[in-house]
This record gives sequence, structure tokens and C-alpha cells, in this order.
Amino acid sequence: MHVAPQMGYDRAITVFSPDGRLFQVEYAREAVKRGTPAIGINTKEGVILLVDKRVTSRLLEPSSIEKIYQIDEHIGVATSGLVADARTLVDRARIEAMINRIVYDEPIEVETLAKKICDFKQQFTQYGGVRPFGTSLLIAGVDTKSRLYETDPSGALLGYKATAIGANRNVVMELLEERYREDMTLEEAILLGVEALVKATEGEASVETIEIGYITVEEKKLKKVEKEKIAEYLRRVKKE
Amino acid sequence: MKSRSIAKAKYLILRPAGYPMKSSYHEYPEISEYRVFEFYAKEQWQGLKVKKGDYLFDSRMFPDFAFLVVDVEPPNSEISSTTRIIVDVREEQVILPKTKSIRMNDIVGQERAKQQCRIIKKYLEDPKKFGEWAPKNILFYGPPGTGKTLMAKALAFESNSPIMLIKGTTLIGEHVGEGAQRIHSLYEKAKSLAPCIVFIDEIDAIAIDRRYQDLRGDVSEIVNALLTEMDGIDEREGVCTIGSTNRIEFLDEAVRSRFEEEVEFTLPNEKERAEILRLYLKRSPVKISEDVDIMKIAKMMDGFSGRDLVEKVLKKAIHEAIIQDSELKMEHLLNAANKLPKKVKDAPKHMFV
Repeated sequence: MHVAPQMGYDRAITVFSPDGRLFQVEYAREAVKRGTPAIGINTKEGVILLVDKRVTSRLLEPSSIEKIYQIDEHIGVATSGLVADARTLVDRARIEAMINRIVYDEPIEVETLAKKICDFKQQFTQYGGVRPFGTSLLIAGVDTKSRLYETDPSGALLGYKATAIGANRNVVMELLEERYREDMTLEEAILLGVEALVKATEGEASVETIEIGYITVEEKKLKKVEKEKIAEYLRRVKKE
Repeated sequence: MKSRSIAKAKYLILRPAGYPMKSSYHEYPEISEYRVFEFYAKEQWQGLKVKKGDYLFDSRMFPDFAFLVVDVEPPNSEISSTTRIIVDVREEQVILPKTKSIRMNDIVGQERAKQQCRIIKKYLEDPKKFGEWAPKNILFYGPPGTGKTLMAKALAFESNSPIMLIKGTTLIGEHVGEGAQRIHSLYEKAKSLAPCIVFIDEIDAIAIDRRYQDLRGDVSEIVNALLTEMDGIDEREGVCTIGSTNRIEFLDEAVRSRFEEEVEFTLPNEKERAEILRLYLKRSPVKISEDVDIMKIAKMMDGFSGRDLVEKVLKKAIHEAIIQDSELKMEHLLNAANKLPKKVKDAPKHMFV
């Protein structure tokens, strides 16, 4: 939507508007909404990430579009928004995870990593000459238990039981609010996520475009769901 | 016996035409009370058979002052006690409900808008029923060329009531104070026409957000005039205001909140574009070649409005065909479509995941 100019308070990111808002940072969140949907659901058995990739041409190699990244063995992120910004943040996250392993000789806690990413993002909202990241991340991982965090361009950090970023977020959130239960099994959560994804993409999500990553509490390793499984989940969702 | 076969006029539009001759002592009269004038006019002209283009002469207050008959519905009918007499002055264009005109079904797509407009139709058909729950002010918004004016006209015709088409810019006026005056007299007239629709096109011209009113000092008084009229401090039964704009975010908050309903008009999707093309191709003056692939053209024209399709593609292609003295071929359509600049409405998709 077209936004009326805010008397010049939207020119520089470091200038507050009289009612205490940072418009450039808010505009960065619009960039996130331009991305395709990404959904995260946390259960007692583990945490899952579901994304829909936009394949605009038959000639495009779908595997070259990345939306779920591995940060460390036990942590994965899903992104929505500017793809180049996302890669920068992912690189940063991987380095932070490595530093933790080298300095403390143990895998980084999910919350620690999320906070480091958010601190990094925040710096781009307070200094002149820079622009905020036009990307949100869903950070999913398992340390003492499974965890799910969402970051936004302002550097805000929120832990969720289930959440979504990107286009049609509100459609997904509505469904999740209604149907999420804390005692869900991993498979039930995946089915709910696939259903939400189909809804958010107005039925366009297909086996080729859907990607699902999961980390179980037992294994503590990021794994991807195979294509055949995804096809089966899709069939089951569409049947209902 | 002859008079019995003449239909009674339902609506009559008059425009002041002046005296046949000019002299220094004649005053140029101005109508101050439309309601009273209607009675005055009927009293002296009742029983006259009129047609479009006739002149009627005043015989009382200003002898020989002429009025031009701009329109009469049905044509060639007789002025009777039930005739609605409308005086047309410069700014407002009053359109009468004719039997052969646009219907809501002629508008392609905009299903949501149609749904929302149904209540206005019901209201105009029976304003008494609604009382204080009347829909008074509706706002149409959306990109240019998506059928906002068309919808207003269709509404008027379907509910068989007149519609006053007003351009927002004509309400501003030359002098400070004129704008507010015009708005008040406009509603005065609308009241005499009720049930009717007042359609203010490009309402952002007068109801601009007060933050931007430094541009024109007197705009705020126009906004205030509009606000009091929209609130309906004077009870105006059967008058429904429809505002239309393509920049809703510039509207003054107070004006915007006066609209009980905001109806969005959207750009047509591929299917609707094809439907529009099909509809207008039926009225093509030249024969249409077999090779015309409507779906292909519709697919190409992503982001274009209905008006773009008709005015920029179809019209150009038909002109081309007429020049070449051939039937309308696919190449004509493709030529016209390819000449248009592509509508870039979305950011480059590959930048986002």
C-alpha cells in the first residue's frame, strides 16, 4: 500500500517521528511481507520449519532457491524478505555458532544465537548511513529442549510456540491460533503447517515448491523431509 | 383525445438560457430555492408538450427569460403535476435514469464492490424504510479505470433515480468562500431531486488531508462544509453521497470517517481481463478475425485496468484495422499491446524469497 510521506520523518532511519516511530524500520518490515511464507511450529517432540519457494520460471533450478539454511548441526533458520540480506545474516549466524564451539567447546544455545543476530540487526537501526535488514528469520533449534524464535528488521526477538513470516502471515496465524495444541505430535504439526502453507499460497504450494525441515529433541539434528513424504502430506491435506 | 396519447414527463432538465435580446435594465435572475422553483415552473408550464432542445419562456417574474430543455424523460412528453423539474447549472451534470443504459451486470468482476453496493440500491428504491439507518455516504476507491464511475451510474439506473455527477475540482471555485457555498447549494439541489445519488469524482481534490492544506488556504473551509453536509445536520432523506478517489490515503481523516463504507475496486485479473475484452469486442465496428486469441492478450496485460484495455489496446487495434480496411486480426491487437509500457507493479521477485 502507498504510504503518505510522513513530513520527512521517513527519510533517515535514525530520526524518530514526533510520535516515537522509526518509519524506515517499519518500511523494512514491508520488505519481509514481499517474501513467500515461512512457518515454524514447536512441539514437545521437536521443532519444524515449513517454507514455500517461489519458482517463477520453468527454467529455474528450484534447488538454487534457498529458504531454509542450516546454521549448526542443531539449528536451522527459515527466512522471508530480501534474499541477499538473509544470506548475510545466515553467514553471521554460522560464524557465531562456530565461535561458540571454539571458545566454549559446546554447541551454541538457540536463544544465545537469536540474541546475537538481533543485536546485529539492531545496529542497523541506530546509525546513519546504513539501512535495516529487509529480512525476518525464524530460528529453530534444540538445546535442552526444542525452541523457536522470530526476529524482525528492528532487531526485536520473540519466542513462539508457532509463528509465520512473509506474505499472508495473518492467514497462517489465524489458522495456527485456532488449531495449535501444545501436545501435538511432530507429524500432526507438519500436517497443520502444510495446510497453512497451502492456504497462504492460495493453493499454489506444490511438491516442487514446499520444503520442510525438522529437528527432533532426540536427535538434535536438522533434517529435511523427502519429496515423497511431502507429496503424501499434501495429498492428505487436500483430501480433508 | 390527442393529449391522452402523450406520456407524462417523469423528469425534465432545464438550463437557464437568458433573454432573447439584451438591454441594460434586465436583471439576470438566479434560482435561489429549487423546491419553490419547481412549483412555480409547473404552475405556468403544466400541460406543455416538450422535447429536447425546446425553449420555455418565463411569463411571470422575468417575462421572456428562456430556459433550454436539456433533456426530458420519456422524450416528447407532457409536463404534469408529477414531473420532477431539475435546473442544471454549470458544475453539476445530472443524468436521468434511462431504460437503455448500463446495468451492474455489465461491469466485469468487482464482485465484492457489487455486493456492497446492493444496499444503496435497496435504499434508493425505498428510502422511507430505512429511517435513521440509511446508508448516507459511501466511498469508492481503487486504481484509475477500474469502474468506479461506471458502478455509480449503474446503481442510479438500476434503482431508477437520477445521479448528479460532480467533479471534485469544480467545487473549489475562484474566490475564497465560493467552494463552501457551492457544496451547500449542491446538497440543496440534491434534496429537491431525492431519492438520488450525489457522485463526487476525485473527492481528494476537495477533501485533502488537513496536513497538506497549506497548499490552498481555503481548502479547510471546503472540508468543513463537506463535513456538515455529510453528517446530514439537515435531514436529507433519499440522498446518497458517493465519493470516489484513487488516493485514499490522502483523504482527510474526518471526511474518511464519515463514509460508513469503503468499497474497494481492484485491477482485473486474467480471467476478468479476458471477459472485458470479449464484452467490448462484441461492439467492434469491424469484423473480428478467427485468429484472435483473447486469452493470450489477457495474459499479456497484467496490471492494466479495464479502461487501459478498452482505450489503449482495443481502440488502437480497431483503428489500425479500419485504416488497413481489413478485419481485426491478432497482429493488430499484439501491435497495440506491445507498444504500451509494461506495468511494473511488483518489485523484482527474484530479490525476495
